[in-house]
Amino acid sequence: MSPTIFYSLSIVLVVFSLLVVLCKNPLHSALFLALAMIDLAFIFFELKAPFIAAVQLMVYAGAVMVMFVMVLMLFDLKEDEESAFSGNPVINVFKFLSAGLLCWAISSKLFSYGDVAGLGAGKEFDIKALGTTLYTKYIFAFEALGLLLLLIAVGAVALSRTKGGTHDS
Amino acid sequence: MGADIFEISINIIKILVIFLLMVQIVPLLVWVERRGSAFIQNRFGPNRVGPLGLTQLLADAVKFLFKEEFVPSKGKKFLFYAAPVIALVPGALAFASIPLSAPILVDAFEMFGKSWGPYRFAFQGFEMGVGIVFVLGISSLGAYALLMAGWASNNKYSMYGALRACAQMISYELALGLALVGILLIYGTFDFAEMVAYQEGPLSFFFMGKEVIVPFLPNWGIFYQPLGAVLLFCAMFAETNRTPFDLPEAEAELVAGYHTEYGGLKMLMFYIGEYGHMLVASALMATFYFGGYNLPFISTEAVNAFFAGFGFSATKASIVTAFALHVVLFTKILLFLWVFIWVRWTLPRFRYDQLMDLGWKTMLPWALANTIITAALVLLMRTEWL
Amino acid sequence: MSPLIAIIFLGTVTLLFGSALLFVASLLGPKPKYSSVKDSSYECGLEVQETGHSKVPIKFYLTAILFILFDIEIIFMYPWAVTYLDFVNEGHGVYIFSVMAVFLLIFILGLIWEIKSKALEWE
Repeated sequence: MSPTIFYSLSIVLVVFSLLVVLCKNPLHSALFLALAMIDLAFIFFELKAPFIAAVQLMVYAGAVMVMFVMVLMLFDLKEDEESAFSGNPVINVFKFLSAGLLCWAISSKLFSYGDVAGLGAGKEFDIKALGTTLYTKYIFAFEALGLLLLLIAVGAVALSRTKGGTHDS
Repeated sequence: MGADIFEISINIIKILVIFLLMVQIVPLLVWVERRGSAFIQNRFGPNRVGPLGLTQLLADAVKFLFKEEFVPSKGKKFLFYAAPVIALVPGALAFASIPLSAPILVDAFEMFGKSWGPYRFAFQGFEMGVGIVFVLGISSLGAYALLMAGWASNNKYSMYGALRACAQMISYELALGLALVGILLIYGTFDFAEMVAYQEGPLSFFFMGKEVIVPFLPNWGIFYQPLGAVLLFCAMFAETNRTPFDLPEAEAELVAGYHTEYGGLKMLMFYIGEYGHMLVASALMATFYFGGYNLPFISTEAVNAFFAGFGFSATKASIVTAFALHVVLFTKILLFLWVFIWVRWTLPRFRYDQLMDLGWKTMLPWALANTIITAALVLLMRTEWL
Repeated sequence: MSPLIAIIFLGTVTLLFGSALLFVASLLGPKPKYSSVKDSSYECGLEVQETGHSKVPIKFYLTAILFILFDIEIIFMYPWAVTYLDFVNEGHGVYIFSVMAVFLLIFILGLIWEIKSKALEWE
């Protein structure tokens, strides 16, 4: 993976991620999140993991769609949206402090991995190897995941129930 | 994209040509759709402008250019303009990743006093090792354009049309993804070209660990996966939002669905996106189940040898082969596109609860059954039990 | 070089094509004269009752969540389907079949439960 491609994709990713947080309209945030996910898929693709990249597109595109619908459902967008940096100045100081801490923590970690060119080099994409590992070595995790997904489905259905349970309408 | 200037420029031209192929098929399809619907409904259809009304669409395109620009005042202006443009992208990217013919092999040659090494040009925009998963991922992005259009229009009909479209697309994407597992079990690869290569020759399969050959049938996927093919084709109809699944634009309830506030060229671009999806769906059907760009029983090498027999050089024979096989694939694609149009003017529309029931309670279980049966059969047939 | 460049190139070409069409249309078309009636959302000629930015039924949210869950399960079946023939040819066919049989059993249980609990009913 050439450093040029890596850094340009990464800068775009950082910009999109910042826009997700800084946008006033939660709907625009959701759209920028979708763009960030697509960019992340590109990075996976460059790391010689095209299957993960395609899965990233498939699953996270759907996931962001859920957020989109949730935003439509839960927020009253008719009122003016609140900016990220309004309100109490003391709170703003804390916002900047925590953001700065986070940036420092991430960047100190980031620059210790200097060798970008080595990432994904010499590897070839091999779906057979992925399948063989997944279904022999990580077999327990795989089956447990099926059960976990079932639990999530039960939870989602229970949460969104409009009749029965504690609601008598 | 290439090692030297020749390869890069050829690849760029190739991508542009494939994109234009997708765009230019739209007027043709609209013409077929109008004439076809007129034929089915026993009327004439457009027949005044040009021979058989062929230039009607050209006249329409010019008319679209001169339509006034209208943006609903309380709508989100940028998203309103961006939505139709983004609607073009998934179809174009998905279509470019499907091989449209056999690769062209160019031998080393001399030009401008330099020798240019041997090249291999795949007859597709870009070669992905995970072809079909990439196509699925890209086409799942198609719902965003509709959601953006619905949201930006500031109109309840648009919004409900967009929400319906999304709910429908994601519901049927499950059936579509699961119907594909059967075909993956048979071929054992994600790559389109390998799938096409698998379908060469007469039908041959394993029975109790021994190979059986049926000489009078081609080795097409449809004979291994009849149920999967039907499920996939139905799901494709729902993915493209066409009748009988065109609930997002049910005009009796929703005016026109997500493009209620759109007009002129912006509306046309949604149509290009829809026809692009149809094109991708037809190409996928042809590649998975009907031998792709190969003629039945005849392998790519045989066609190449046939053209080489005319005294062409290896490079020329390869080019001629690629274009001949491209015509074969396009014939198959056009047949499927005609089925899309035929069904649209034959079947009535579903009710919304029927649509969701069909997706979740009928097609999903059937696709599951198809997967299990295929896996069990492959296991039974391939193993020598005695 | 990788196909990524080709993908980005084609995406850019498509976006440029679309924007160019919009730009040409905006140059050639007549400028609309706005009025309060023309500006309002389309409502079949009646007074606008409510615009699209109102809340939507929770049903769509549930459908989207269930889609993601099933989608993840289906994606886990793709590597299985592609490696299935290899396992069978190496004589581990029964093992790889039972791996997915357990997974699919959970999948089917989930589907049956959702149908029974009327989570997929639309009225």
